Amino acid sequence: MAKKKVEDKNSENSDNTKNDGELSSTEEDPNFSDPEDFEDDISNEELLEDLLRNKPEETDGVESVIVVDGVPVVGPDRIEKLKSVINKLFTKFGNIVNEYYPVNEKGSTKGYIFLEYSSPLHAAEAVKLTNNHKLDKQHTFLVNIFTDFNKYEKIPEKWEPPTPEQYKGQGDLHYYLLEPDAYDQFCVVNGPGQSVQIWQNTQPEPTCVEDRQMWTQTYIKWSPLGTYLSTFHKQGIALWAGPNFTQYKKFSHNLVQFIDYSPCEKYLVTYSPQIDTDNPDQKRIIIWDIRTGLEKRSFDPEGPSAWPIFRWSHDDKYFARMGNEILSVYETPSFFLMDKKSLKIPGIRDFSWSPTDNIIAYWVAEDKDVPARVILLEIPNKQEIRSKNLFSVADCKIHWQKSGDYLCVKVDRYAKVRKEKNEFKYSGMYYNFEIFHMREKQIPVDSVDCKEPIQAFAWEPVGTKFSFIHGDSPNINVSFYGIRIGQAPILLKKFEKRSCNHLFWCPTGQYIVLAGVGSNGGSLEFVDTKEFLVMNSTDHFQMSDVEWDPTGRYVVTGVSVWKTKVDTGYWIWSFQGKILKRINQEKFAQLLWRPRPNTLLTDQMQKDIKKNLKKYYAQFESKDRMRQTRASKELIEKRAALMERFNEYRKSKNDEYIENKPKRLALRNNVDTDELDGDTENVEEEIVEFFIKEETILID
Amino acid sequence: MKPIMLHGHERAITQIKYNREGDLLFSASKGNKPNVWYSLNGERLGTFNGHQGAIWCIDVDWMTSKFMSGAGDNSLKLWDCQTGKEIASISTNSSVRTCNFSYSANMAAYCTDKALKHMCEMFIVDTRIVDDSLGSAEPILRIPINGPRVSSLLWGALDETLLTGHENGEIIQWDLKMGKKLNSTKKHTHLINDMQMSGNGSMFITASKDHTAKLFDSDDLQCLKTYKTERPVNSAAISPILEHVVLGGGQDAMDVTTTSARVGKFDSRFFHMVFEEEFGKVKGHFGPINSVAFHPDGKSYSSGGEDGYVRIHSFDQSYFEYAFDY
Repeated sequence: MAKKKVEDKNSENSDNTKNDGELSSTEEDPNFSDPEDFEDDISNEELLEDLLRNKPEETDGVESVIVVDGVPVVGPDRIEKLKSVINKLFTKFGNIVNEYYPVNEKGSTKGYIFLEYSSPLHAAEAVKLTNNHKLDKQHTFLVNIFTDFNKYEKIPEKWEPPTPEQYKGQGDLHYYLLEPDAYDQFCVVNGPGQSVQIWQNTQPEPTCVEDRQMWTQTYIKWSPLGTYLSTFHKQGIALWAGPNFTQYKKFSHNLVQFIDYSPCEKYLVTYSPQIDTDNPDQKRIIIWDIRTGLEKRSFDPEGPSAWPIFRWSHDDKYFARMGNEILSVYETPSFFLMDKKSLKIPGIRDFSWSPTDNIIAYWVAEDKDVPARVILLEIPNKQEIRSKNLFSVADCKIHWQKSGDYLCVKVDRYAKVRKEKNEFKYSGMYYNFEIFHMREKQIPVDSVDCKEPIQAFAWEPVGTKFSFIHGDSPNINVSFYGIRIGQAPILLKKFEKRSCNHLFWCPTGQYIVLAGVGSNGGSLEFVDTKEFLVMNSTDHFQMSDVEWDPTGRYVVTGVSVWKTKVDTGYWIWSFQGKILKRINQEKFAQLLWRPRPNTLLTDQMQKDIKKNLKKYYAQFESKDRMRQTRASKELIEKRAALMERFNEYRKSKNDEYIENKPKRLALRNNVDTDELDGDTENVEEEIVEFFIKEETILID
Repeated sequence: MKPIMLHGHERAITQIKYNREGDLLFSASKGNKPNVWYSLNGERLGTFNGHQGAIWCIDVDWMTSKFMSGAGDNSLKLWDCQTGKEIASISTNSSVRTCNFSYSANMAAYCTDKALKHMCEMFIVDTRIVDDSLGSAEPILRIPINGPRVSSLLWGALDETLLTGHENGEIIQWDLKMGKKLNSTKKHTHLINDMQMSGNGSMFITASKDHTAKLFDSDDLQCLKTYKTERPVNSAAISPILEHVVLGGGQDAMDVTTTSARVGKFDSRFFHMVFEEEFGKVKGHFGPINSVAFHPDGKSYSSGGEDGYVRIHSFDQSYFEYAFDY
């Protein structure tokens, strides 16, 4: 009833208003007003649903209109051409339903136009992508939504403080460091983007923490302190952190292939070497602030160069890249060039930051009679704190020790050089190492010579030793040198005729793995460099990777599906070279230990721990033993259960077997063959003579 | 103990088999003469001459009176063990890939290969009286196999059923009275190379190209255990006295030339039958192992490989002393 009433009322009302002007004085209207106690119990939405759907909204019309400023001013003769240029650009975002080109009295345009799209979404898209679009040198479009003008015109005079947003916790990003037994995590990638697992290296069996399909499209990378896990996707990089590996940030960069973290995890550099055909304006290198997720600066590198193109100082304050005869050092957080200009260094070939100080080491190639030089440059005061001239240099490699105490420059030198088709051909090569003592006054430099080609070089990360592989196959040798203050480095040990090509130092020093990596390799030697004791000499055939865990307790060797197709998997060893676990896994691709930040303990505290190791040893030993017995107990229980079940099964089968005996006898002419020697009647004894040993005794 | 190496074949060994007592060891290769040896000292007793092609399969009856061989020359031949003379020959349309005597040896079954114009077929013949007439006699049963070919064959415990392993990994149990499929299972994903019975016929072990061997119940085809390796398994056998199984295999003969012998993993591998754990391996062959067999007394085993050698290994005392904790 109510419905009818209201309808009546509505029609009457409209009649009323229509008639108001002309017919007010005619017959008296019947009274249609509601009685005083009437309550309208129906909403407009319910009543006029079909009509309300078409109710015009404020967003229609004006919100779809954009204002483009910075359009070239043209006369009436060229207005059609302008329109076609504009249309070509703006119809990409949607259908333009209306356009307006204001003109002055002479008929030339005024430099701004109005375009109306069929939907406000298209308008928003157009604003997003064409604002600051450079049409040509003189004209840059400034594009706004029409309603924005209203909004900015009506900025209230009085400023109201914004209401603070609810704080959203990120959870504990460093929870994994609080693991009471200091178990480390590692992640395993299987196949190209198949699945990614995070494992906790618990004893005696590792446990799987997380297992996700299609987590990454190519590979994964941990941040340098282990806080974030980065996965690669076509659209960009995703960062995962916290106890459940929830998504922490996304960095949209199409076709990204390489990334690099700054050492303190403040910034992320993403690099897409290809030009994205869908979005050609995208920059190839973008530097992001990890915590805010904002783009800080982007670059377009010219020409191919070795990744990482940008190299960071240890404290994230500076980053640098090498250009043609220049070294560009940038500052954070401004992301501008330091002192607004690059350093001019003619002939610069390579550079590297010290891992602990703001010092850059770089080397400059020979130029006619000017010798090659290695220079240490302090940043930001750009002071050369040491330089060393070198003659007959073909190439240099800069190796910093991880603690920043020493720097080694491996110098390849030649006896003769010929120039052939713009390429230098060197002959009579010999090698030496220039060792810079960074912590001593004036930075003294020592030199170690080697006549044989160098295959690999590695510093002990903590300590005073360095090692290198030298010689030609099959006479491959490994030499260890020790450094002392005020003395030339001395040869500590030389292992001869080894089959290794890579050196992997334990991250805490002292232990080293000599490994033969590659399709024909696989040899492994675990060496304690205190007394140069070979603890174990073994192999993992065709191994492609060797990874120390961050605490130096375990070593993982892996055979990756990226390198070979058979026997892929990873093996876990103790640091002494004892095999702990062999995991053969089809499609195994990559294993990475989760890094740990540097210890917060002072040197003194670490020394104390080492001194009292005996005390801790007993505790850990008993803990390990308990774990071991628990595990072996579990195993034994499992086996006992299996055995019991199997015995039950076998008993039932045996009963059946005994039952079937008459049938068997019938089948074999009543000859009992159930036991091996059950049948005595049909056996013939045969005597076989053996010729066991022949002895010849000479009698003279 | 040092193994006895039997070098009587010039080509790859295809199958080896002990007789019931274990005093003789029969071996066949892709050459055309099967051999028989004394298993105790490795002395050759004789050869069976007459085939014209690669011997794919052999079997010997429980009395060691008749020996059977199927070959690539499209024939199945029966021989007198004592004299080594051919006593019957059945010609077929294609290679004979598998053959097996029944428990009573009153019957024998064999399967032919799927060849250009011929499909794979299974035959059962009467072998109570074997003479020249066998070649022309009608088989007791002839079952054409549509679909994947038979790659291994085994009689059920009491002459009542037949088990066939197929190239797609399927196992089918056949009822002989009806000549029909009784049961089937597909637990393997690739070709089944070999099937061998346990001592009392209640279980059998399969060896498959899918890198596993599996233990099945021979009545209901239930899969009891799985033994995993990283290489194709060509043959597997169950110890008659201990809860052990031995697996032989290795990288496919085809791929070996392209990879070093180290990658091949041509070892005999010993697993605990119940716990499915590997506890030992025996090196020696320099090609994949094609056939393994336990001596019926369980104190030695033999393996025949692609390298043409048969190796008889007697177990050391430590093998018998080694026990799993449970």
